[in-house]
Parts: sequence; C-alpha cells; structure tokens
Amino acid sequence: MALLKIKNLSVKSGENNKEILKNISLEIDEKSIHVLMGANGSGKSTLAYALMGISRFKVTGGSVIFLNKNITKLSIDQRAKMGMTLAFQEPAIFEGISVQDFLRAGNKKISRKKTEEILSLIGLEPKKFINRYVDQTLSGGERKRIELASVIALKPKLIILDEPDAGLDIIIYRELYGILENIKRETKASILLISHREEVGLIADRATFLRRGKTICSGPFRPVMRKYCQSLKRKEICLKTMPCLKNL
Amino acid sequence: MSQNNALPKKFISSAKKCGFDTALMQAAGVPHFYAESNKILSFQKTAGLEMKAQSFKEGVKIKLIVKKGVKIKKPIFLCFGILKNQGKQIILPEIILEEKAEAKILAHCTFPIAEKITHRMETVMKLGKNSRLSYQEKHYHGENFGAEVLPNFKVLLERGSFFNNEFILDQGSVGKLKINLEMELKKEALVEITNKIVTRGEKDKVEIFDKVLLRGENSKSLIKSRAAAIGGGSVFLQGETVALAKGACGHIDCQEIVIGKKSIAKAIPIVEVCHPEARVTHEASVGKVNQKELETLMTRGLSEEEATDFIVKGVVR
Repeated sequence: MALLKIKNLSVKSGENNKEILKNISLEIDEKSIHVLMGANGSGKSTLAYALMGISRFKVTGGSVIFLNKNITKLSIDQRAKMGMTLAFQEPAIFEGISVQDFLRAGNKKISRKKTEEILSLIGLEPKKFINRYVDQTLSGGERKRIELASVIALKPKLIILDEPDAGLDIIIYRELYGILENIKRETKASILLISHREEVGLIADRATFLRRGKTICSGPFRPVMRKYCQSLKRKEICLKTMPCLKNL
Repeated sequence: MSQNNALPKKFISSAKKCGFDTALMQAAGVPHFYAESNKILSFQKTAGLEMKAQSFKEGVKIKLIVKKGVKIKKPIFLCFGILKNQGKQIILPEIILEEKAEAKILAHCTFPIAEKITHRMETVMKLGKNSRLSYQEKHYHGENFGAEVLPNFKVLLERGSFFNNEFILDQGSVGKLKINLEMELKKEALVEITNKIVTRGEKDKVEIFDKVLLRGENSKSLIKSRAAAIGGGSVFLQGETVALAKGACGHIDCQEIVIGKKSIAKAIPIVEVCHPEARVTHEASVGKVNQKELETLMTRGLSEEEATDFIVKGVVR
C-alpha cells in the first residue's frame, strides 16, 4: 500500500523562479526503502525538500498525498506532525544544545532510556554522547548519526534522507546501510533515500531515476538501477563493485 | 561571625528563575553575603575567607579576601537587589584572591518588581599569582522594563592566574543595562569572559564594553558574547583586546540574533596588536536565526516560533 503518492509534481526554485522538477510522479510503499537516484543537478534534493515543504522551493503543479491526505499546502511542521521528517545532507549544528535535548526536541515524551537505545542503534555509545553538544566539536560522521537518531526519536512514518552516505568512507557507509536497515526494522518507517552509490542496492526495495528534473523510471530497484547505470555507461563498474547486481 | 541565612521570598523565587540552587544558597555553613537596598540581610564566612562589609546611605561596601593557598570548595553566594518598585542601590565589592587561592562565586542581582530602579556596581578584583576564580553573575530585572543597571568591573590578573567570568541575563526584561569591564593580564594569566543576554521589548537597551589588556608574555583571553535582540530591544556589544607582549593571544567571538521588527543588534570588535609575536582574532555573526537550524527543527515538528525559542535558549544557555 502506498504511504506517499506524488502526482505530476512540478517545482520551481524560490530564488530564481527556474523550473527544477517537471511532472514528477512516484509512490512510496509502507515499510520500504525507496532510493532516489540521478546525476548531480537531476533534482533529487529538490524533490526531497519540496516533499518536506521547505519554503525555498515552490510547488507550481501537481500534488503530494501522504497517508491519503493532500499535504501539498501544509507547512514543514504540519507535515512533520503527520509523521514525515527529513535529515539534511549536511546537518545543522546547534550551539548550547545537548544531544539529549536535540533528540527530545520533537518528542518531549521520549525517555532517557529510549534516547540511549536510539544512540546505540545508530552506533554511538550513549554515555559518551548523550550530554555532548550538537556543535562543531562533533565529527561529520558523528553529526550525521545524531541526525539519524533525532529522526528516529520522532517515531516517523516516512524518513527522507538526503545523501546520508555523502562524505563517508567505504567502511562507514556500509555500516550506515546496516543502520538504515535497523531503522526500518525498529521503526517500521519507510525511507526515501537519496544516494549516488550503487551499494544502496544492498538495502533498497524500490527506486526512482531522475534526470534533468524528470522521472525516467520508477519501480523495483534492480531494473531502475540498470537503467541508471546504462545512462552513466557504468554498468561494468556497477557489476564489479556490486555482485548482488549481476542479474540486472 | 555569621548571621541567620534568611533570604526574602522574592530573592529566592528570582534566584530559582535564574537557575540557582536555592537550597544550597540557604544551607547552613555555605559562605555568602546577601543585601537588599542598603541593608545587609545575612552573611557567612568560612575558613580562609575574610569578609568585611558596611552599609552606607545608598548601598553596601563589601570586601572579600580568599587567603593565600586556600581553596574554597563550596561556592560563595552573593545576592544583591531592591525588592521595592523604586529605589537606588550602589554596591562596592572588592574581591581579592591571594597567591594560589581558588574560589567560585555565584552572584545574583535581582529587581523583581522594578519600575524605577537604579543599581550601580563598582567592582574591583585582584587575582594573585597562580590563583583561580570562577565568577558567575546572573541578573533578574523583573518584567516591567524599569531597571537601570550599571555594573563596572576593574580586574587585575597577576602572573599565572585564571579568571572565568560569566554574565547572564536571559529571564524577564532588561530595562537599561550598561556594563564596563576592564581587565589587565600579567604574564601567563588567562581569562574567559562570557556575556549572555536576551532582550524582550522596545525599552530594553543593552550596552556592553569589555576591554582586555594582555600586558604579560603568553597571557591569553577569550571574550565570548551571545545575545538575542527580541521584541524591539537593542544590543550593542564591544569587545576590545589589546596585545602588548610576546606570545599574547586573544580571541573575540560574538554572536547576536535579531528577532522581530525594530530589534537592533550591533557588534564592534576592536583588536590591537603591539608586539610582532602576539596575535588577536575575532569573529562575529549578527542577524536572523540560522535558516537551516530553523528548518531542521521544523522537520522535527516544532513550529517556527518554538524552533526560534529553542535556538535562542541554546545560544544564550
């Protein structure tokens, strides 16, 4: 059953009024991991931000249906309260805010024990991190994990992740995919994952391939990945690095 | 010599509002000095801490001396204020830490129903060689924008001493606040100055002038200011660091958030270096709440107002 339905969505930049997305349509199933793939500038992040209602992107046509409700005109926090959330590619830092406070920001009822469990789930030692500040003293990888912990704490139904694997080395991002599977299992949420890496095939259920702001194809992961690799003339590389994609 | 540690209820409630441990403030044996207008309410000495005080027509004069080599484990509480809606108070504190002495002072100034109040404070501090002082001053000026608070500090840090100085006014209205702080550091002395201020309305005017003279070799300073100009209030912060000796090193870090029409924030860092082997740096950020921080919190379900409040509390915490 579809958790999120995007119907003919067109989006312009709020800064220069340039059309970035044209008639995008796709569906995200419940309890699934759906990958958005495409080259730089194809509109992946714009789609993610437009779905979340970030105001610098203007929806000029189409609709977003979440939990059978048209949310196209709702604000960011209204969407979040319905169970949708987003983790930015480069998470913001917060001076004077502890990890505990940050995890409780959107869910005041969450217990300290639960926040510690969430930190363990995303691979951070709770005692070491719970009282640290969400500021520049954290490494990039630690901050990304805390961003994930923060979205899990909300108990969302849909988590949008904008390139959580960007800037991470190979060992860490493979660990990250394990964490995403844990998140899916623990929260029973769907994940819309933006990624450039072929290795997301290890965890993805479905995918959508975007090019120049248009949907090229959408469906089960492997055929979409095949199309994407062909477009990049990278199929051989994909197969070499990802034996699981041999039957593409 | 001691007197009964009985703080008026209004002092206690405002101290609580500012995050003080009010049970500890009133506990037996905790060193303290409490005064309302020109009346000395209560004081408590401890071993190694000398305390002399006298009141005069418009206020109170107090001298604290932490004796050589003495480390006072419990915090020393100072509490000054005016509990009427009008009045004038002058406080003249002299705080001396002798060589290798250590102390932590928690000071509270309160004017909970101020409508027309002037509070002036002329503080002189002397930190002896290799002494350490942590001094935190938290203010509460009530909700009526009726306080005029004018604290001045002159601080001398002898060789190898360390001073951590924090001023916080993040509850209620400000009224008019003007702080002048001047510090002089000898060889290898170290100071950290932190100001945290939030305005609430158009009548709130804040001016802070922090000046550090790094006279001694390898002396170091940090002036860190965090302010939020909200509701039409204005905040002016001037941090000045002058480096005069080899290895002297200073940094000025100022962050001011502006929220709402007519609110004004202004920052002036002044850096002056008079030695080729000294260095002073500064950074400042003045303006609206960071958009990415705001959007991140909104994606967690906070409204724009809630998210702004959350960010401001973090910045001035």
